[in-house]
Amino acid sequence: MELYSGYLEDPFNHMKLLCPNSMTSASTQFASSMRIGGMYDRDHQLGGMWNDPYQVDDSQTTSPSLGDVKLDNPLDDVPNELQGSSKSYEHETSKPPEKVLRRLAQNREAARKSRLRKKAYIQQLETSRIKLAQLEQELDRTRNQGGYISGHLGESNVGLNGAVNSEIAAFEIQYAHWVDEQTRLTCELRSAIQAQVSDIELHMLVESSMSHYENLYRIKAIAARSDVFYIMSGMWRTSAERFFLWMGGFRPSELLKILVPQLEPLAESQTAAVNGLRKSSQQAEDALSQGMEKLQQTLSETLTMGPLGGPDAIVNNYMGQMANALGKLEALVNFVNQGDHLRQEALQQMYKILTIRQAARGLLVLGDYFQRLRALSSLWAARPREPS
Amino acid sequence: MHQAIPCSNTRAWPRPGDISSSPPVRQSGNVRQVVEDNPVVVVGRKGCCMSHSVRRLLQGLGVNPTVYEVSTEEETAVAREVCGTGDAAFPVVFIGGKFLGCIDRLMAVHMSGELVPILKEAGALWL
Repeated sequence: MELYSGYLEDPFNHMKLLCPNSMTSASTQFASSMRIGGMYDRDHQLGGMWNDPYQVDDSQTTSPSLGDVKLDNPLDDVPNELQGSSKSYEHETSKPPEKVLRRLAQNREAARKSRLRKKAYIQQLETSRIKLAQLEQELDRTRNQGGYISGHLGESNVGLNGAVNSEIAAFEIQYAHWVDEQTRLTCELRSAIQAQVSDIELHMLVESSMSHYENLYRIKAIAARSDVFYIMSGMWRTSAERFFLWMGGFRPSELLKILVPQLEPLAESQTAAVNGLRKSSQQAEDALSQGMEKLQQTLSETLTMGPLGGPDAIVNNYMGQMANALGKLEALVNFVNQGDHLRQEALQQMYKILTIRQAARGLLVLGDYFQRLRALSSLWAARPREPS
Repeated sequence: MHQAIPCSNTRAWPRPGDISSSPPVRQSGNVRQVVEDNPVVVVGRKGCCMSHSVRRLLQGLGVNPTVYEVSTEEETAVAREVCGTGDAAFPVVFIGGKFLGCIDRLMAVHMSGELVPILKEAGALWL
């Protein structure tokens, strides 16, 4: 999953922000031990890295203490003296002793400040590490409790049975990102249509939107292999969306019904083609539904208590039935996949029938529709209830 | 002879209860022979529910497909005969003696509107 693998590998982007040089804690320790020895030499580089939180720029001075001095003694005219002394660095032996002493004191000061900054930075790293560990713990805890976290809309959908799958947890995160990207693409479509951009630009946007849907079907397929009931239940979707659930998603013929009035004016050939597509979709949907019903029937029959026999017979029967039933359940994955395949075919056929502008508008209508359903779900969840 | 169910413009999809066509003709024997002898053949595993969906789709279009059921032992052999490789994604469909494909292909061809012309050409449908 090109889109989401990066996110999964680094779900806590702030680690990168804190470690601009991408250092792990192990290497931090190694580097700091090196630094203790070479404190003065390395202070420029160190200053560069640690100065961000403190916004003191040491890296541009020849003497590490210059910046600090500015901080502490803004009224002091020492900088000038220092500049003078740094210029005459080569004539060390000819310098008056107070200046030497002064410089040494300032070096000590700089070193001290450097050590303090380093300490602060390490503390920041440690806090982040603790935070990371806590988040991981929380994730594990929710896993063990058997609940699925629904990241989107803050709704907590806790599964009643079965342990939480790490693949399902991953799917939830991926889907949340998918929705965010969907929202962004819908906005882009809206502004592109309003701005009346060129066909080429619109083309690219339409292609992106189409492949975005394909990404959804791809991650759904992976999740379905892991837990098909989860996908079929639509628990990963909001409540209003679930109302329209068919075969783990939306019914293509229903979506086509919504789209057509929004796409007017259509050429006669286009209207005929879209109507034909809708009819074909209905037929295909019904065929799949009937196959699904047959699966339910055979599953029920498989689980029904068999003929009564001795205790061995009952146990053997039971085990056999369970094994049989498990085998049948595998077929459910195929049905979910066929549902998604049908959605994909509907999208691709529409893309062929419509002009690029109509396709863009169509995708906008769809994206908007899904957004409104999600918004409706939130409103429904937040509605004021009668005090009982 | 196959009896065509007349199609109307409104949704006249046969409900599971009311299907008036005769039960699907089940064949056994050499799969290649069956495919050649019958205009529409569905080759699928025994008791497969996806096969059932494929059959329902074809029946809804007015076709009464011939069903060739494959047991688990015969699977690989039949698959090899049918599409050259040892594993086929059953169920698969043959129209007019020619291999159409698995359910993915069938659905794609149906959604693009090409399925009915293909069926008519094979003599499985006429209106």
